[in-house]
Amino acid sequence: MTNPTSTPPGSNLDPHDSAGHDVRDMYSPLPVAPLEEHALSGPTRTLWRDAWRRLRKNKLAMAGLAWVVLVIAVTLSADLWVPDAFGDPETINTATAAQNYLLPPSAEHPFGTDKLARDVFSRVVYGARISLSVGVIAVFISITIGLIMGALAGYYGGLADVLVMRLADVFLAFPYVLFAVALIAVLGPGYINVFIAIGVLGWPTIARVFRSSILSVKENEYIDAARAMGASDARIIFRHILPNAIAPIIVYGTMATGGAILTEAALSFLGMGVQPPTPSWGLMLSDAKALMQRAPWMMIYPGAAILTTVLSFVLMGDGLRDALDVKMKD
Amino acid sequence: MTRLLEVIDLQTHFFTRDGVVKAVDGVSFTLDKGETLGVVGESGSGKSVTAMSIMRLIPDPPGKVVGGDIIFKGDSVLEMTAQQVRSLRGNRIAMIFQDPMTSLNPVYRVGEQIGESVRLHKNASKQEAFERAVELLDLVGIPHPRERARDYPHQFSGGMRQRAMIAMAIANQPKVLIADEPTTALDVTIQAQILDLMNELQDRTGTAIIMITHDLGVIADMADKVLVMYAGRPVEYGSAADVFYNPKHPYTWGLLDSLPRHDVAMKDTLNPIQGQPPSMIRVPEGCSFHPRCPYARVKCIKEEPVLRHTEAEHGSACHFAGDDGFVRGEATACREVS
Amino acid sequence: MALLKVENLVKHFPVEQGVILSRVGAHVKAVDGVSFEVDQGETLGLVGESGCGKSTTGRCIIRLIEPTSGPIEFEGRNVVAMGRRGLREFRREVQIIFQDPYASLNPRMTIGEIVSEPLGVNKMGTAAEQRKVVQDLLDVVGLNPEHINRYPHEFSGGQRQRIGIARALTLRPKLIVCDEPVSALDVSIQAQVVNLLQDLQDQFGLTYLFIAHDLSVIRHISDRIAVMYLGKIVEVGDYKGLYDAPHHPYTQSLLSAVPVPDPELQRKRERIILQGDVPSPINPPEGCRFHTRCPIAQPVCSQKEPELRDVAPGQKAACHFAKPFPIDLKVAVQKG
Repeated sequence: MTNPTSTPPGSNLDPHDSAGHDVRDMYSPLPVAPLEEHALSGPTRTLWRDAWRRLRKNKLAMAGLAWVVLVIAVTLSADLWVPDAFGDPETINTATAAQNYLLPPSAEHPFGTDKLARDVFSRVVYGARISLSVGVIAVFISITIGLIMGALAGYYGGLADVLVMRLADVFLAFPYVLFAVALIAVLGPGYINVFIAIGVLGWPTIARVFRSSILSVKENEYIDAARAMGASDARIIFRHILPNAIAPIIVYGTMATGGAILTEAALSFLGMGVQPPTPSWGLMLSDAKALMQRAPWMMIYPGAAILTTVLSFVLMGDGLRDALDVKMKD
Repeated sequence: MTRLLEVIDLQTHFFTRDGVVKAVDGVSFTLDKGETLGVVGESGSGKSVTAMSIMRLIPDPPGKVVGGDIIFKGDSVLEMTAQQVRSLRGNRIAMIFQDPMTSLNPVYRVGEQIGESVRLHKNASKQEAFERAVELLDLVGIPHPRERARDYPHQFSGGMRQRAMIAMAIANQPKVLIADEPTTALDVTIQAQILDLMNELQDRTGTAIIMITHDLGVIADMADKVLVMYAGRPVEYGSAADVFYNPKHPYTWGLLDSLPRHDVAMKDTLNPIQGQPPSMIRVPEGCSFHPRCPYARVKCIKEEPVLRHTEAEHGSACHFAGDDGFVRGEATACREVS
Repeated sequence: MALLKVENLVKHFPVEQGVILSRVGAHVKAVDGVSFEVDQGETLGLVGESGCGKSTTGRCIIRLIEPTSGPIEFEGRNVVAMGRRGLREFRREVQIIFQDPYASLNPRMTIGEIVSEPLGVNKMGTAAEQRKVVQDLLDVVGLNPEHINRYPHEFSGGQRQRIGIARALTLRPKLIVCDEPVSALDVSIQAQVVNLLQDLQDQFGLTYLFIAHDLSVIRHISDRIAVMYLGKIVEVGDYKGLYDAPHHPYTQSLLSAVPVPDPELQRKRERIILQGDVPSPINPPEGCRFHTRCPIAQPVCSQKEPELRDVAPGQKAACHFAKPFPIDLKVAVQKG
């Protein structure tokens, strides 16, 4: 039965065991291996580290992450090079406007220029600032409200649950964009109000996701174990429930960032969001729609920016969902 | 003579992110009409994967039957076309699963589901199929079968659902019935009902049964032959009497010795098998049981033992099976495992 | 004096109906008048099929579930009436071990954090002292103390159950409620954990309330055993009497239904196969709750509820016709 071509598996054994038997003899008792040999080896694996390892293997999610990182890097460094190289995104240079308006893409203006002779690339880059900050800030607002509401409903249940969930139903029953438009009509246009409107409108879904996540985590006996040792509610929520219930929020929050960017674009397109001359992708589309045939670049580039950025967030969310799936037992 | 079912050196592997899992690694057995084979082993021992391989239900990827053969009435199941496999499944070979709560579709009436399995394989009208379903429900001991056939699964208790599953499995008078832990999710008094029912149906129809379980009591009740599996490999195979009264593998000894009994007084401490079940990614080399075996010698890590037939129809995959004095209760341990 | 005394414990769960405003209609009578005592240092086995209320009883005792009524006395103090403070004290002395070795350990915490948490919650010891306690405990339950920084998913089921046991021991409790501690484990591992629990009992003078559905494990570990059916105790007695001479027909059927790992014996055994299913605990049968399935039921059984009465020294059964095994099997066959 021994395979002569490969080294026998036992060949790394010490030739003598503790009792002095020669273990090269096939009939000597086998020394007892330390416990670790067939249970634990290698560095400690945390669930977060495992998730990151899985995420790294997901090519689409990593492409999404790379794109988002690139957009962030370009946006953050924009002040250093974009206006110098391509022109200011907001101010209209009246002196050169007459010959520079509606130029098609060229080396000097890679995305062309708009009807006010501003560089489209520069406006797309600065538009990303608005889009990303809307995404991040609005989702931050949504998550903050959503986590509190979801925790109230999921952990305490009873009347708190009924009230919170019915309120969420009311929010969800309104047509989303219409509600946002109405809210901005009350608050007045401007990007701060866009953050608030999108953020406030986003909480019910987060609350629902978090509530059901809490409910399923609460079923676990380690929660009972914590109660049985006398742990306080706060300790149970923050040490036991939150770390285990947060994964769906991370996934949903990532996807919702894409959604918030899309909503901002829609609101600005309708004229209810960011106001000119501040560049915003939605606003740029709105400007472009009358000139669609004459200057298609005015529409293509901001459109592509929305598409790729939103898609990247969705792909990242998808990848995170697979990577954070903690249901597997091995 | 052609056997009803013959499994020869079956190897089913799963190709996972963490490595190759040899879920089934060299399993062989035969099954004849009216026989019951008990397959016993702990979780991860490969007993369910063996059953799924016979049914050609291994998800590919990640799983794949990489070696051996499965011969049903002289034909290789592995070489069948998808069409042929479909006409085999649920017809000549049927299966009952562990969880009676999830194996019935909640949106169809129980009678329709049982009738469906008749209609798939026989040319029956909807009405005929329903009549057959009522007949089957009666056969498996469901009271008021005509009314109950119109119920939805959630209106059935766990025991009744398992009876309905059996009714569905025997709808087309299969030659082989594979039962994968059919009573594990049930209470003991319900388990007794189901085992009784299976024994009775077998007496009446001569269906061969493969009973997969971790419960040696269930095996003792049902099985004519027993296959003991450990870490994907067969470690002992023989008649029920051989395996229970003259076991030849230290793992089988360990299983029998570690069980507390409700019918006889026991001594104060139990005799567990020490150590932990192996990780299926890194199965120990040589004999996979060696890290937990008190009789392991150097040979056990250097050479992989094969299931040897020490006498007609009784085999043990232990290097020392059949040696003088290597008998359950008499062999002396040569090392201490903790 | 008994360490734990449960008197007429009742737990009814409301069945919620309606979506907008839940109205309470029916109740699931999970535990319906259960009384027993557990003495210092003994193991009381609580056995029964799923839904009989054994787990609910265990959880009521440590107040993970609020009982509907019935005093539960631990060392003379009424657990049901305890306030926040009293409960905290009480929970240092009573701990629980759970069934599922996967769900009972927080996957985001290391073994060290899990086992030391009871100390942290009760603000006992410095970090270094806690670490020492944890390492000692891991050693006691047969785990490598060096694994203190590992996470639960790196361990096998049996090892995880040992971690759960170590956590229950951290506060050096007097009573441990073991809620099906071995039923999720593989056969070869069950015996390891049963042995460990017995060793720990000797070493620390523990008292166990051992809840299980497996009659073999219960027989092995228990000094006395109570059999539950549909929220009530139907028979209680010491392990010898109960297994050798069960008096209640339910105990008898239960024992006869468990297959023994001995083919010749198993196929020769006389068995009572109970008909039908356990009735719903929302509407338990009138009179004796077992009468709908009982092989020896008489008209009186559906009218009058039998009291738990002495049937042998140290053994009580709640049956109008309690008598030792074997019961008249012909009756059983007729009924079937």
